[in-house]
Amino acid sequence: MSLAVIDAREWQNRFDLETGQPRKSDTPGVEMAAGVLSRHPYPGDVDEQANQWVTDTALDLISHYDPDLVCLSYVQQFFSDRHFKHPETERERLFAAAMAEANRFVDLSGFTPVIVGTGDMIPLAGDMDLSGLDGLAVSSNWSARYCGIHGPSPRDMDFLNSLDTLERIVPKQEWIDLFQAAQPDLEILQDPRLMPDFLAVAREGQAFKTMGTTLRKPVHIPANNFQVPVVTPLGIINDLREIKPLIREHLSTHKIALILVEGVGESFFPESRRLVQNGVDWFCYEPGDAFYLTLSTGRHQPFAYPAGFRFFDKDADAVKFPFSGYMDMILGHTLALNFPGKSIAVGNRSMFMHMAFGVDISIECFARNLFNQGCMAVVHRDDK
Amino acid sequence: MKCQFCERTCDLTKGRSFCGMYMEENGRVKERFPDQWCTYTPSRIESVPFYHAYPGARSMIIGTAGCNFRCRYCSNGFIACKDPADLQEVMYTLPADRLVAMAKKMGCHNIVFNVNEPAVSLPSLERVKYYARKEEIPMGCLTNGYTTESATRLMMEIFSFVHIGLKGFSNAFYHEFVGIPDMAPILRNIRMFAQTCHVEIASPVIEDVNDHELFDIARFIHDIRPDIPWHVFRLLPEHHMKESLYPNIDRMDQALETSRKLLPYIYFHNFVGSRWVNTLCPDCGHTVIKRFSLGCSGDRLDEFLAPGNTCPECGTPIPILGTRVAWNEKQSVSWEAVS
Ligand code: SF4
Repeated sequence: MSLAVIDAREWQNRFDLETGQPRKSDTPGVEMAAGVLSRHPYPGDVDEQANQWVTDTALDLISHYDPDLVCLSYVQQFFSDRHFKHPETERERLFAAAMAEANRFVDLSGFTPVIVGTGDMIPLAGDMDLSGLDGLAVSSNWSARYCGIHGPSPRDMDFLNSLDTLERIVPKQEWIDLFQAAQPDLEILQDPRLMPDFLAVAREGQAFKTMGTTLRKPVHIPANNFQVPVVTPLGIINDLREIKPLIREHLSTHKIALILVEGVGESFFPESRRLVQNGVDWFCYEPGDAFYLTLSTGRHQPFAYPAGFRFFDKDADAVKFPFSGYMDMILGHTLALNFPGKSIAVGNRSMFMHMAFGVDISIECFARNLFNQGCMAVVHRDDK
Repeated sequence: MKCQFCERTCDLTKGRSFCGMYMEENGRVKERFPDQWCTYTPSRIESVPFYHAYPGARSMIIGTAGCNFRCRYCSNGFIACKDPADLQEVMYTLPADRLVAMAKKMGCHNIVFNVNEPAVSLPSLERVKYYARKEEIPMGCLTNGYTTESATRLMMEIFSFVHIGLKGFSNAFYHEFVGIPDMAPILRNIRMFAQTCHVEIASPVIEDVNDHELFDIARFIHDIRPDIPWHVFRLLPEHHMKESLYPNIDRMDQALETSRKLLPYIYFHNFVGSRWVNTLCPDCGHTVIKRFSLGCSGDRLDEFLAPGNTCPECGTPIPILGTRVAWNEKQSVSWEAVS
């Protein structure tokens, strides 16, 4: 049974991860994670020190747990670039600083890195207000390119077809078929009835303005990163899904760090980088759950939490994993799930890391809509 | 030409008003940005937070722009403290009938205005009320309570459940942290709202600043009606108070101890994992409503254990507006069903 230690600044409590009920536990692993949490208060999503927090926390955890596999995410530069207008030089400094922080971790830990960028960010050129549809348009806070269209009227379809900022409108089945062809054992983990009838896909630089999008208008959004940069000495890969098998293959001989740097594109990576496939045909993964889960499971995962699905029609009275944001299940096939060695994750993608990688112990910030509420450690197991 | 919606009573002939949401036109006060909403999102009613109104219900959260306060710790400063004219590009234009249709489409049981101060958008909200009432959709709001008597009466007609911020209990606090000279209108309005509306009250606690005023607030609430739920929020240092310390939870809990003797429904939250969010029967101490708090508008109903709004152990009535509403009692419906 997984346990969450919540540190709301000078106040720690322990909860059952699945039910959210308070739970007593003082196993060595829990005590150790609680100690690391209290030594590293989170500075805040857009604070300059937020990425340093990832490195320092990870190094502290490593010194006490001695893992073989580490998963990290550095996201400060993504949050900052998404929400604030910086001069171009400052943007470059932010992205370079994120890479430098990842490299600092590699230097200090001695782990063999697999560094993955989620690709470039570009200025928001415009957004499409779909609040006037007869049907329902649903997007999500972090998505720019995709929007679900539920029950559109003929008038809605005429309107959508008239938008030249829209790249395409894809019927649900066509979207599923696209991925089924690329991944025959594709899993659709949500109730298909909650999926949109159509997926509206924005042209590059455009975003949607609908129910579910953030009150804070983004300044930069992800480019259409059909390929993303990866650098590792472990071998050559061509697709995001090949990272998991590559890491698993080398874990018997190497201590490995899978490091995500969000919003960072090819130009900030060293010469030895490779560009790997990120998605299928017209569908590229944006930074977010589908990207993380595809990376971690080695399978396409656009339908674990499908873009534009009617999340609010799920049975919220029976929600599990209340500390896990909209994630409500522990996925199979994740990178560290059946790994016999020790594994940890640290990141400033909140309420996310502990579900995405299947590691033994994770530490992540607990921030919602950029409001800094502290940190959380999740101990899935400490019997290794 | 003075605006009579809030106690600032801005002279609208002298340039932009304080909130920037009203103007003078042909001798009348007019909304500058009618039917412009910053959001329309389904959310749990507990996340507002309303703890004693329609437990478990799906609310449609709405808001506009602008505010008549300038709280130093405002967590929605990027919407509430900006010039509304600069925010119009992020707004949604939804006339009242379409906004109410949206609530139906998204399966919402009620509509709650909670991002900024409703006093700055009352004419639009009055129009929403007209259509919401036709559809039997109740409306609620969060307000800072700094409205004129006439505006308060208007709000009492629009909203059947109201969550009022009582941010401190001294003019000195309101002056320094909120920017108004006198809190008396707020106290007057809380008394007025309590006559006809379901009322809950929220107070942010800032250690060493207003924690010594907590008991005064409790006494004030007690004198109106002891069963009014009181939410004490641990301050989340935001906006101009970003560098402030997070209040110590154990010390703040201690500071509430004497108030608990006066008020049976005190909730201490706005931080993840709070254990002070359940409702206990004031007579026998049995837990009648269990909640879960993620802090920062992330609260939710966990278990409702008070059938008929009474304690199952001793039968004591628990003050709740309406009854338990299942999240999926109404599901999203198609546009054909709405029109
Ligand atoms: S509602 Fe706005 S315009 Fe009217 S008095 Fe208050 S601050 Fe001034």
